[in-house]
Amino acid sequence: MTTSLLVADARTKKRNAAEKRFQAYGLSAIVVAMLALLVLLISVLFNGLSSFQQTFITMDIALAEDRVDKQGNRDPAEMAKTTTIGYNSLLRDALIATLESEGLTTDLSNKDIANMISKESSATVRNRVLANPDLVGQTVTFDVLASGRIDGFFKGDVTLESAALDQNTSPEALMLAQELADRGVMETKFNWNFFVWPDASVQRPEAAGLGVAILGSLYMMIVVLVLALPIGVASSIYLEEFAPKNRITDIIEVNISNLAAVPSIVYGILGLAIFINFMEFNQSSPLVGGLVLTLMTLPTIIISTRAALKSVPPSIRDAALGVGASKMQSVFHHVLPLAAPGILTGTIIGLAQALGETAPLLLIGMVAFVREYPAAYTPEAGLFGEASTALPVQVFNWTQRSDPAFVERASGAIITLLVFLLIMNAVAIYLRRRFERRW
Amino acid sequence: MEDLIHVDRAMSTQQDIKISAKGVQVFYGDNHAIKDVNVDIDDKTVTAFIGPSGCGKSTFLRCINRMNDTIDICRVEGDIRLDNEDIYDAKVDPVQLRAKVGMVFQKPNPFPKSIYDNVAYGPKIHGLARNKADLDEIVEKSLRKAALWNEAKDRLNAPGTGLSGGQQQRLCIARAIATAPEVLLMDEPCSALDPIATAQVEELIDELRQSFSVVIVTHSMQQAARVSQKTAFFHLGNLVEYDDTDKIFTNPQDSRTESYISGRIG
Repeated sequence: MTTSLLVADARTKKRNAAEKRFQAYGLSAIVVAMLALLVLLISVLFNGLSSFQQTFITMDIALAEDRVDKQGNRDPAEMAKTTTIGYNSLLRDALIATLESEGLTTDLSNKDIANMISKESSATVRNRVLANPDLVGQTVTFDVLASGRIDGFFKGDVTLESAALDQNTSPEALMLAQELADRGVMETKFNWNFFVWPDASVQRPEAAGLGVAILGSLYMMIVVLVLALPIGVASSIYLEEFAPKNRITDIIEVNISNLAAVPSIVYGILGLAIFINFMEFNQSSPLVGGLVLTLMTLPTIIISTRAALKSVPPSIRDAALGVGASKMQSVFHHVLPLAAPGILTGTIIGLAQALGETAPLLLIGMVAFVREYPAAYTPEAGLFGEASTALPVQVFNWTQRSDPAFVERASGAIITLLVFLLIMNAVAIYLRRRFERRW
Repeated sequence: MEDLIHVDRAMSTQQDIKISAKGVQVFYGDNHAIKDVNVDIDDKTVTAFIGPSGCGKSTFLRCINRMNDTIDICRVEGDIRLDNEDIYDAKVDPVQLRAKVGMVFQKPNPFPKSIYDNVAYGPKIHGLARNKADLDEIVEKSLRKAALWNEAKDRLNAPGTGLSGGQQQRLCIARAIATAPEVLLMDEPCSALDPIATAQVEELIDELRQSFSVVIVTHSMQQAARVSQKTAFFHLGNLVEYDDTDKIFTNPQDSRTESYISGRIG
């Protein structure tokens, strides 16, 4: 009996159906994953993109001598006696004057008008005046921050209905703001200061920025890179190329793999016990954060470096040894350059992981509210010893705050963090392509 | 400068026997891979090692430049002498030994660098060239000896891995002879090459005999007959027979040798 090749037999049909099913499973898994990613990205971008914009009021402020420099001697020390409360009324009067010159009338009390301006603005104006006493007596045009509610109104987060229930603003104030915007006095524009300013208190979300967090994260990444890369690569080279293969190296190997799986908060406890309590480094400092993240990143770097070294074909080692290179020459002249793309990729992925890590930093006090930009070095605090926060911790912090304006800021911080991660991964891919060689 | 090295060596290697192995045993863990091998390899001669797969011929070859040291579980016993010096003496640095005993591997394995850098690497790490001009000269001479100069001279900065298989193997030979070795070990150098490239390499081996003692492991009996003056037949870790190539192929003394060369075992 012969069977025709033109007719698929039952067995073949079954096999083909199984293959089709498997492909369908795979495809649906990818579709689900892509959808989840898309939803995540869209929701973050939708919530957060507005944080890169901020509403400003452009107004002329008369810096009358009797209000900002009562002694009249232009001495900054004397002028500093006028507190931000004094400047509050100055700004309020300036806004009232602006309303009059624009021909707008309002039923709002003076206090309500003052509430349209951010509390941060008076400090900004005061700092400008203290830095430059010559401004006293002049009328200077300032771009000052509008309050968070007004800002939220222009971004669609605050509506007339919600304002009616809100103690901090009123529908009348919002409508006045709309009039001001129509006349070009108020403007919502791109706000670089989001990346520069430090965090601000709960009452003034409009002034909160990522400056300290970005600086802290940068310092920590420097610490991690400087410590984890050499230590990780050196230990991988030793383990992979030089160490005898015996029970002890087996135990070390298993333990490195285990360390990679240890929950990161455990490293936080370790850092608290060793670096802060025992070695007495400053708490909240990028130095301690960097050390903790180094411990956490090391296993990742070691494992990927060893994989990269393993993937270099043994024939290259033979070739080098065959022409009389020493073990070390064969490793450093031939094996390491070939493994470099893998090592770089592993390192950058480790760094990216460290950049997004939150839990261990909470334990070593980096969750603190920090307004001062940390210096890289001070004689008292040492290298990277000044208190700071970090990007993921800033996200954590802002999501806890009651004012809804912080929701957009937290999302904005997440976008910033994601952009940094994307850049790092792009660099990793570029470096891999750049250094990849075929053999 | 290279000439000086060659002259020096010619004076110091007047004796006939270059390598002398006595009672060599090799163990891979519990596996007894080489059993009591005694062999004397002559200078300026091509010696072929033949035998079925797994008979230990490559293992023995790798003992001569101590490449087996890189394998943790490998243990070598017995006495191997190069110019009457024990190469397994505790005072011997295998790195120095390997500069004297070059090796060409089964699969062409050029470094992923330029042709020039491939050849120049050995002389560089051994400090054989005082300046760039010296190095250029060594590279040119080595490539000429390896019959690759004409094909490679215009593309010295091109990657060595971009050459064809046969060219790559000749590049590896050039790399091996650039350090001015005294012995050249070749582990099945033609097994990955086509017949034309094989013929080129075989011709090359014959020329290299003028300056080196060449030891070649091969699966091809025709190749052994073509290129070698002496042949050693290995079987199951034993050296069964070692004699002039003519004698081995025409009048073998051992029945196992006869069976192998006539194709009955292997």
